[in-house]
Amino acid sequence: MTDDGLLRRVIAGDEEAFTLLYRRKHPAIYRFALHMSGNAAVADDVTQEVFMTLIRDTKRFDPARGTLGGYLFGIARNHLRKRWEQDKRLAPLIDGAEDFVKVANGSANGGNGNGVHGNGNGAMHAHGFGAHPHDEFTSLETVGRVRQAISTLPENYREVVVLCELEEMSYEEAASALDCPVGTVRSRLHRARGILVEKLREEKPATASGILAGSKVAATVKRRAVGE
Amino acid sequence: MDCAEFEEILHDLDRPGTRGLEMRERALIHAEGCSRCAVLVTESEALDFGLHALALQDSELKASPSVEGALLREFRRQKVQVAPRIIRWQFAAIGVAAMALLALGITLRHQTKTNLPGAGSGPTASSVNPGTVVPTAGSPDPDVKSNSVTTTATSQSDDSEYATAFVPLPYADDLTSMDGGAVVRVMLSRSALTSLGLPEAEMGGAERIPADLVVSDDGTPQAIRLVSQVNYE
Repeated sequence: MTDDGLLRRVIAGDEEAFTLLYRRKHPAIYRFALHMSGNAAVADDVTQEVFMTLIRDTKRFDPARGTLGGYLFGIARNHLRKRWEQDKRLAPLIDGAEDFVKVANGSANGGNGNGVHGNGNGAMHAHGFGAHPHDEFTSLETVGRVRQAISTLPENYREVVVLCELEEMSYEEAASALDCPVGTVRSRLHRARGILVEKLREEKPATASGILAGSKVAATVKRRAVGE
Repeated sequence: MDCAEFEEILHDLDRPGTRGLEMRERALIHAEGCSRCAVLVTESEALDFGLHALALQDSELKASPSVEGALLREFRRQKVQVAPRIIRWQFAAIGVAAMALLALGITLRHQTKTNLPGAGSGPTASSVNPGTVVPTAGSPDPDVKSNSVTTTATSQSDDSEYATAFVPLPYADDLTSMDGGAVVRVMLSRSALTSLGLPEAEMGGAERIPADLVVSDDGTPQAIRLVSQVNYE
């Protein structure tokens, strides 16, 4: 069933439809809140607030103005901004990055179903990363460094990276969620990617080459460049 | 393709629905011949790899189960609140409809009553009951007695007011020969009524008193009567 169909049933008071809609939509909202705040408790709160808003004012969503997902991301963004205004300590996300890494590692280990608790020493089998121990190490390190680099981006760059790169939204969908023109999303993403490349380049040249080794296209280009 | 154009589309080379994907082959050919752009495309692909790995690792992240529990409780609470609200609205709508019907009925009944001959009130001849001085338009009452003042309330133009009998004014023509005319409701001051020859005792304490005037066709007032409002409370 489509999101709109589920939402109609939710408006009619169908609890099962609400549960289905929540389970379908909430992981992306949670991940967005987690990336933006770097804090699992805040991400839980924001996710709860987003769906509370939906429950209390279901009819406010207008399908003509965008997708339900975009609408929910917009609410999440507003709640995050309110929180940042209330608690300035959350604004420099890097402070909460450790919590984020803990959460993410918990998830990588298979977690306990809620992704909050983990022992942080896990392998990546659950996500189908390379079976070779060296590949696992490279992937973990890569992910950690990329996550860290994203967490240091300015908020407006970070949100386009999360939406367009991690949640794989189109420019149009992200523009709807962020309530800004498509061109703004595109230019912010280009700038954000430029910053990320610089950060990854600066951080650890040796490991950066490890990251590059994982990119098949990069390897192809390299081969082409050397005339193979 | 030059380097500037290459850099413009560099981050869209794998993105569906963008110009970068359409020009991907040309961009890669350019990168083969330009070492600087080759480095850029390598770094961009490396970043894509890292982002993809990060997205995969986070794909299983979910909010705590307690969030779902809290939301379901709120959903049930809202449902319980909305149901009585709907019923209350239905009752309110029925009540309003009933009130509207009642008002309509009363209005229709009142209109029927005022349309009856001799019933009703206002600045027309129909405001005066039969049995009193009724100088209706076109037929002034011949029974108006000259220079006599009737002090008793002899007519009731509607449920809320009483009126005295018409008193011919001092300069009035012979009402028996009056042809045409009308009754007009006016508010007159105490001094004006005194100048018309009405005793002050008739007027009570009010400064402005409602009165009905019989006006002939040429606009000259011919007779007057006082009207008083009845307060049922």
